[in-house]
Amino acid sequence: MIYLDNAATTLKKPKSVYTACMYAMKHMSTPGRGGHYYAMRAAEAAYECREKAAKLFNVKDPENVVFVFNATHGLNIAIMSVVKPGMRVVVSGYEHNSVIRPLNALGANIDIAASELFEPEVAVSVFERKLLEKPDAVIVNHVSNVFGYQMPVERISDLCAEQGIPFILDASQSAGTLNINMEKLKAAFIAMPGHKGLYGPQGTGLLLCGAKPRPLLQGGSGSNSTLPLMPDYLPDMLEAGTHNMPGIAGLSAGIDFVLKNRERILAHEKHLISVISEELRGIQGLKVFASDHVYSQVGVISFKVEGVPSEIIGERLSDCGIAVRAGLHCSPMAHKTAKTYPDGTVRVSVSAFSTEREVKILSSTVKNIVKEILC
Amino acid sequence: MDSYYLTCRSLTYAQRLSRALNSAGIRNSLVRTPNGMSNDGCGYSVKIKSNVLNDALAAMRYSSMMPKKIFYSYEDGNYQEVSF
Repeated sequence: MIYLDNAATTLKKPKSVYTACMYAMKHMSTPGRGGHYYAMRAAEAAYECREKAAKLFNVKDPENVVFVFNATHGLNIAIMSVVKPGMRVVVSGYEHNSVIRPLNALGANIDIAASELFEPEVAVSVFERKLLEKPDAVIVNHVSNVFGYQMPVERISDLCAEQGIPFILDASQSAGTLNINMEKLKAAFIAMPGHKGLYGPQGTGLLLCGAKPRPLLQGGSGSNSTLPLMPDYLPDMLEAGTHNMPGIAGLSAGIDFVLKNRERILAHEKHLISVISEELRGIQGLKVFASDHVYSQVGVISFKVEGVPSEIIGERLSDCGIAVRAGLHCSPMAHKTAKTYPDGTVRVSVSAFSTEREVKILSSTVKNIVKEILC
Repeated sequence: MDSYYLTCRSLTYAQRLSRALNSAGIRNSLVRTPNGMSNDGCGYSVKIKSNVLNDALAAMRYSSMMPKKIFYSYEDGNYQEVSF
């Protein structure tokens, strides 16, 4: 099977990740639950993972690196910490449901800074206009999970910082490939999964905290047990319950891989996307959502066949041994902004382990499928 | 040998403190805070030998880190809080 659904989960991991998960299952209990060897081994592994993440994302203090179950979990904490019912929150036009649903559940007033695909300059000016009205918070998806469109988040975060507006970054598709600098972005929160570009297992994620959060879960933290509420310091206040130690150990090994290879991974993914883009653009009947500028598209590319449901193309590709994702990708807003709603698109997403041969097989298979369907 | 317990607000803070001391060449161990040294329930401390306290204090000031409290621990298990 050729796996090109890495925007959902990077299926293939570095060998060290599998080894670390297995080691943790056998030799680690839980950080903060005891002073014996197995608890302290877990504590050490967890701290090492925080330190590596702090290094990768330039977080001043490892205590501000919090383990979460996934990016959705982190985004929920971030949103519940910053946003109150009725507040006006400006978001990009490419947000995932992990941002839109919590905002709706809170009764926030969502103001969409919609702009065309692959037009970062236009995006900045739309945000500039929206920020004149002094919103209560800004949330931006760094890289669209549907189109791979890289938002100019450094410039948007600068605008927010100038006006003291809390800025939340969804780094689901960018963590592990793009340079993310917490200190420079001055973000209130940055949320990311562990199982995508950081090459950890599913059920892991990180929340980088630049502002005071509010706990989403209450429970045992292994610290200050006599207090009736969660401790008021990080990371304990956000980490109620037993840690996913096999996951954290695997994530730590994944971050090691990224620390050594991030720039190479980025260049490799950009190359593969440009190959796919060129090949797919040569197929008649296909609409390809690709940027002309290499700097504004990362790791993901979408296409559609006019008049054919994207799920049909996805199904045919699966029958041919190629895994992609078709539909709305939990991001109806992104499809509305790009005018691909409600049909959606076929999404192809690569990783450090994808090869040029694989994406060329994809292109020729798509060509055959389209020919079959349209002729 | 007598020792000092540097009690910390959290396990993660204790780990940071332990690393800061290691960087300064001060041997230490990460331990559970003995009941009685903390009023808050479960917690962690960094334990050092009594003859390195001054060096440890200097290293902690250098790295802008301080424990919640410091306890002198006698060999018989008794302890006493010290001011710093």
